[in-house]
Amino acid sequence: MSYTFFPGCSLEGSAKDFHSSTMAVAAKLGLGLPELKDWICCGSTAAHASDPLLADALPAKSLSAAGGATVAVACAACYSRLKTANHHIASDAALRAKVAEVVGRDYDGRTPVLHMLEILCRDVGLDRIAAAVSRPLSGLKVACYYGCLLARPPEITNFDDAENPTLMDKLMEAAGAEPVDWPYKTECCGASASITDSSIVLDLGNKILAMAQTAGADCIVTACPLCQLNLDLRQKDMEARFGRTYNLPVFYFTQLLGLAMGCPADKLSLASLVVEPQALLQAKGIGAEA
Amino acid sequence: MTGGMAPSIEIESIGGSLAGDVQARSGTSPMSCFQCAKCSSGCPVAARADIKPHELVRMVQMDQREAVLSSRFIWECTSCQTCATRCPQNVSVAGMNDALRAMSRAAAAPAPSTVPAFTEVFLDAVRNRGRVSELALMIRYKLRTGRFFEDADKAPVMLKKGKLPLFGTQVGGKSERKALFARAAKGGAK
Repeated sequence: MSYTFFPGCSLEGSAKDFHSSTMAVAAKLGLGLPELKDWICCGSTAAHASDPLLADALPAKSLSAAGGATVAVACAACYSRLKTANHHIASDAALRAKVAEVVGRDYDGRTPVLHMLEILCRDVGLDRIAAAVSRPLSGLKVACYYGCLLARPPEITNFDDAENPTLMDKLMEAAGAEPVDWPYKTECCGASASITDSSIVLDLGNKILAMAQTAGADCIVTACPLCQLNLDLRQKDMEARFGRTYNLPVFYFTQLLGLAMGCPADKLSLASLVVEPQALLQAKGIGAEA
Repeated sequence: MTGGMAPSIEIESIGGSLAGDVQARSGTSPMSCFQCAKCSSGCPVAARADIKPHELVRMVQMDQREAVLSSRFIWECTSCQTCATRCPQNVSVAGMNDALRAMSRAAAAPAPSTVPAFTEVFLDAVRNRGRVSELALMIRYKLRTGRFFEDADKAPVMLKKGKLPLFGTQVGGKSERKALFARAAKGGAK
């Protein structure tokens, strides 16, 4: 299968570490991820909360240029918008015609879109992942946090079980880590309320961190730029507001996978994490290739 | 069973104009709700909301246009899709909220939220550059809302951690994108 990578805006900014660690893991696996040429923003919540036609047209413009390749996505929010547009356009001929008028070319809604978790677990396969692991993350207890938009709504994303997804857990197991059993895998972190009303994010993020801690996790693993940023950048504020101490590093799954595969430290951008993970990694005897 | 069947009622065809408007914009049917409140049980912001999700649907059924369009909840919804995923009647409160936000803005109802300002600066960036630079977005949002000091401690941390590049990338085709936005606003070409 050939892929073309849709980074999305966050992966060029606050989630540059997600971008570089995704590319490092792909390189280790010999997975080609050339960037989709001239991709544009998926429109995010701003588009779907103001103009449903624009919300379908923006993804259609990018997806119609994929030239038959499967579009690979790392950002959970982009993934959701691209798959939602596909679902709408492929199932509604009248809408497809309208979108064609807006975009200026017809698009059938059938360019395959897959998240990196799906590609690594299902296309590459857990056996090949396990075979590429040279430095297993032994003894590291991880809370796999999927957030909202990978698994919901299931009829659109068709990602995994909507209430108890396990793709990231399986990947972390293959990397030698120990996923904890916890009930907040798909709770919401507050997403872009981080900008418009951060009190929402402090409330929701605090519950997620508290539950991960109660479940015995050493750290959180994420697959979404907003989940990562909210739980990491605002963790100190949550601790201060609720009188708790967490000190839970919040990784992207590609960073931990890259560590297990012996990817070079600079490519994994561990220095970008606000809650610093060095003490935890040292205590577990996990280190990156210099 | 005695006698003939009772005439069936098409639930989508009853209800006031608000339910009809919401259904036309969102594709979800508020009249299908039977108030099980499963949406409110799973909603991450229900605890803080002025109107809980199942109450919002009931108010839409009852045509409470003004109360609904001026509620805080329609702006606090995080679009997490839990309600839509769990509803036994296939009602999406998140989808309704998208429609209600657009209707609230169209009616120029005073929004108890800075979400409309954020939405505007975000879409302006997509129209002009094709992609969103987070730093430029935050600066424009702060200029628009006057919230200069909120989170003032976050930008230095992000800059230090390399999470806030000073210059974003952009793609060509600005005039083509402007035309695309204009056609979308009109509901298609012509």
